[in-house]
Amino acid sequence: MYRFLFRTVYTARKSSVHVYEACVLPAKCDKAAVFRFANGGGVKALSTCSVRLCEKKDNVASPIEEEKTLAEKPVDPTETPTLVTQKAEDDSKVIKMEEQREEEPVVLKTEDEGTTQQQVDVKTEQVEATPAEVNTVAAKSGKDSLLDILGGMKVVVTSKRKLRNLNAWESQDSTTNSKPAAMESTISMFQKATKEASSPSETLDPQLVAAASAAASTLPDSSQVASELLRQLRQQQTVTEAQKKGDMNNLGDIIADMRVGKKPNWKHSTRPVNQIQFDDDGPGYTHEKRINKELSSSRKKRVYLSGPRLDIFRHTTDKDGVESAVARPTLWDIVLANDLSLSTEQTHRNGLEEMIQWTKEGRMWQYPINNEAGLEEEASVPFHEHIFLEEHLQEGFPRQGPVRHFMELVVAGLSKNPYLTVQQKRDHISWFRDYFHQKEDVLKEAEVYLN
Amino acid sequence: MVSPSQKPSVSNNMAAPSRHVGHYIQRNSRILLNNFEQLWSHRNFGWTSALRQQAAEANKEPTDTIVIPRKKTWSKEAVLEALSSTVGRDPTAYPYNFQDDPFLSPRTVNEFKLCSLSKESGKSAAKFFINNNPKYFTTDFAEPHIPCLMPETVSLLLEDVSEEALKERVSLRKVTAAVEMYDQLLQSGTAVSMETTYDLLDLICLYCDKDPVEEGGAQSEDMEEPGEEVRQGLGKQGLGRQGLGRPRRASDIMKSSWKENNNAERIFNLLPERDTRCYSALIRGMVKHGAHAKAFSIYTDLLNNRLTADVHIFNALLTAAPDVRDKYHERWGLFAELLNQMSQQKVQPNLSTFNSVLKALRRCGSLAKTQAIHTLNEMKAMGIAPSLASYDHILNAFSKAASSSGAVSTDILQEVMSELEGTSFTCQDPDDVLFFSTAMKICLNNKDLELGYRVFNLVEHGENWRLLGPLHKQSFFYQCFFKLLCMMEHIDVVLTWYRKLVPSLYYPNIQCLQDLLQALDTDSRLDLLPTIWKDIRALGHDNKVELVEELLMLMARDKHSAEVQEAFAACALDIKNVTEADRRKTPMEWSTTSLSNITSLLLRANKTQEAWATLKLFKSKNRVPKEPLLEDFLSVCCSDGSSQRAVELVQLSAAFCLSDTAKLAKRTLAELDLTEEQRAVLSELESTGESSG
Repeated sequence: MYRFLFRTVYTARKSSVHVYEACVLPAKCDKAAVFRFANGGGVKALSTCSVRLCEKKDNVASPIEEEKTLAEKPVDPTETPTLVTQKAEDDSKVIKMEEQREEEPVVLKTEDEGTTQQQVDVKTEQVEATPAEVNTVAAKSGKDSLLDILGGMKVVVTSKRKLRNLNAWESQDSTTNSKPAAMESTISMFQKATKEASSPSETLDPQLVAAASAAASTLPDSSQVASELLRQLRQQQTVTEAQKKGDMNNLGDIIADMRVGKKPNWKHSTRPVNQIQFDDDGPGYTHEKRINKELSSSRKKRVYLSGPRLDIFRHTTDKDGVESAVARPTLWDIVLANDLSLSTEQTHRNGLEEMIQWTKEGRMWQYPINNEAGLEEEASVPFHEHIFLEEHLQEGFPRQGPVRHFMELVVAGLSKNPYLTVQQKRDHISWFRDYFHQKEDVLKEAEVYLN
Repeated sequence: MVSPSQKPSVSNNMAAPSRHVGHYIQRNSRILLNNFEQLWSHRNFGWTSALRQQAAEANKEPTDTIVIPRKKTWSKEAVLEALSSTVGRDPTAYPYNFQDDPFLSPRTVNEFKLCSLSKESGKSAAKFFINNNPKYFTTDFAEPHIPCLMPETVSLLLEDVSEEALKERVSLRKVTAAVEMYDQLLQSGTAVSMETTYDLLDLICLYCDKDPVEEGGAQSEDMEEPGEEVRQGLGKQGLGRQGLGRPRRASDIMKSSWKENNNAERIFNLLPERDTRCYSALIRGMVKHGAHAKAFSIYTDLLNNRLTADVHIFNALLTAAPDVRDKYHERWGLFAELLNQMSQQKVQPNLSTFNSVLKALRRCGSLAKTQAIHTLNEMKAMGIAPSLASYDHILNAFSKAASSSGAVSTDILQEVMSELEGTSFTCQDPDDVLFFSTAMKICLNNKDLELGYRVFNLVEHGENWRLLGPLHKQSFFYQCFFKLLCMMEHIDVVLTWYRKLVPSLYYPNIQCLQDLLQALDTDSRLDLLPTIWKDIRALGHDNKVELVEELLMLMARDKHSAEVQEAFAACALDIKNVTEADRRKTPMEWSTTSLSNITSLLLRANKTQEAWATLKLFKSKNRVPKEPLLEDFLSVCCSDGSSQRAVELVQLSAAFCLSDTAKLAKRTLAELDLTEEQRAVLSELESTGESSG
């Protein structure tokens, strides 16, 4: 879980210009804050991660600072070593750090409580590595490696455990009322964190291996611890990969455990959607009963309606049935169809149904269902016969001259007239043909009829 | 959570810029922090979902292929259907048919029937007149021409002896004329084509050699045969359209029984060659008209002639099968034999084959349950979707077999419902319309409210309500549903449904209203009784003794707040006035209890005048009031100080010869300010009462 978080955070920092990532960032940050609350509640019980958590917190915080205010950029690198040094100096000292910004209401705080000796050892180890890097390399790459190491170090604590812890905290809190929403958002953030994790998974970072083995070397059985640590790391990596590919089983398990997040009236969610709405007025017991019913019905589903068949017929896909359907309906068929239509005849529920009836009987004008409504006469005439009328000028008209020119204009006008049928247009043209034919002598005399 | 002790250390360890923040936190309560946190997580939630969506879109784009939707052809009613689906039914109004005249709007089932019958018979009469006198209706006003407004051909046009004339007679369904024409054709030696012979045989067999006089012609949308709509008799045609409880045509014809050697058999025997089609017509006719055994013998004849039967023959025989065998297992044996023969003769079964089997299985007692399921599975295996009728038969088989243990039928209904839910049905079998009422009856019998809702939702889904069947089936369905609600639901829900169903869909009968009254009583919402009384009046049930008495009893049983008592008194007065003014044939008879209930209701609302008038009614209706009522009345008189009324009361009591007259008189003497005259009267009554008592 944390690994995702960190990856996202630090990809985000690499491309800090990207608005979308910038949005993610505060979200992550807040999630960490929630976790820290959780840890604050039950630090004693939780053996591992307080120290680490606090450091992670810092790292999460730093990218934001970098992004949002340039001026504060130096604050973080300096802050981290300070903190780390402090930890190195007094191992078991309780460190509490709170930080809040008014300009951007990110609530950040870190708690640290007494940790076991072993953890402190690990921490020291880590601390030794970190300042060195911070000092030698540029602040940015130093943080990168720190992030990596820290991500890798989180080997013992499973996120599930944390969630449980979170649950505990949740139930302890007196103001539980408004919590579920917050919880839900957190859950969704987990999911998102899983989905969004986009950084490429590489083989284990050598630095990580180095850090792990260094941590292991402080323990008595160094080689075994080192291999365990590394194995855990790899395992986590595979899980990451799997979840990135959408295999959400693990996460599903985790979320399934989080009963607290559900609303107190969760029963409603199991009710069928088609439930009549004012059921809500009903007494509560009906709901319970309904749920029971549904459970029971799903359990003994297909008890009665399943079973052996008669095994008399063979299912064939001949054309027999089709043939009989094509055949002329007999009187029996007509009577049966009539009976069926009579048995489904009901009184009209509204005026529109009555109009449907009239439309079927042919007593009412049909509502148009396409642009060809009312085109009974011209339905079979293609459009080009309406538009291209020049072919009718081929015969009976001169090839050129004023008459031809006039007729071309007539044809152009006709082709744009939607109100005449094709036959009417043809008749119109042939009227002119006859007319000019009759006046041929006059036209020839005037030398306008050129043919 | 942050504990105060930790805060100083935080401030110390913090870098300088955030120092003041620490102080801020110190000063403010930690609730503030909580608020911040919640605020943040809410916001984050918004972001994450938005982001996820973005990501999802990005993923989708390359994978999606463009699917070009197929061309959709719309029917000519498409626009109207779409509009109609947005309107639906108006639960606040009377049925649409009766909205044009509010005065005639039916209030009861009988009025509903009467109204729709008269409306339809008027239409039919007009049609009949037009069709029989086409010469007066020659003007075609409609432009374009509307065929259905013009008179139809009902009389025979072809008079000569020809095959055409025969065809005309067949298409006009003139059975006798067709048979005569056929005989004439045979005598003249003209060969009749096979097709026409088939049609003739079909006609004769369908109508059992009788002219279908009462036959309501086919509906005009039946366009397959134009001659269909020719005979629009005056009789029952309209009723079917209105979905009324008209006996169906099939059953009309059932009444006529198949006669030995009728024209069908005669023509059949005269045929030079008989093929499957002829046998089919004959067997179907025989089964339809009750000659079951004969049908089987004809079938044997067919087999002897080395012909194969068709699916219709088998369907008919399967319907007839239970009547030719007595024992259950013999019946089933016959079914199995017929089905096997079907399979051997390579006849593909259809829906009505299996529905016939399932229907016949209902008469097979204990065998029904297992075999019905097997049949259903066979049906599904053959790729034939069961219709509602199939399920109806199965439900019936199960509820009959398991009448002792109702659980089985609920379970099977559960399963059926989970198969059917969300489906829109079309009517495929005449029995389809029986399903919903059967299902609702099972729900009622097992008091399964949840299942009842499911069935109701299925009815409301799409056009399924059209399959509710004729009027009496519809009423039965709604009655069962409403009764179930009254029994199982909270009264508020019941009332919501009541407003939704009554009277636009359903006219409740007395029983249903009594159930409603009981439901009101159970949930102590008796204050609603006056509104129910108004509905009872509107529904025309105000002369039903048992209902009105129950209403009065419920109102008078307990004492309520003054306001409610006022309403009750007004209601009681209304009941009284309505009953007194009732001019119907069967006015309500007053009983002692209802009169006393009215009186005491009026007394409780301090309507002494009206109460006194009611008390006088006892005498005129020959009823005797009970003593407690008179005592109550007297107490009211005493508290009012109306001595005259009290004396009259005691006199009334004496007139009824009640044993308590003396006690009443004594009490009146003791508690009221009386004149000498009144005292004298009372003392006399007291003494006579004591002596008689």
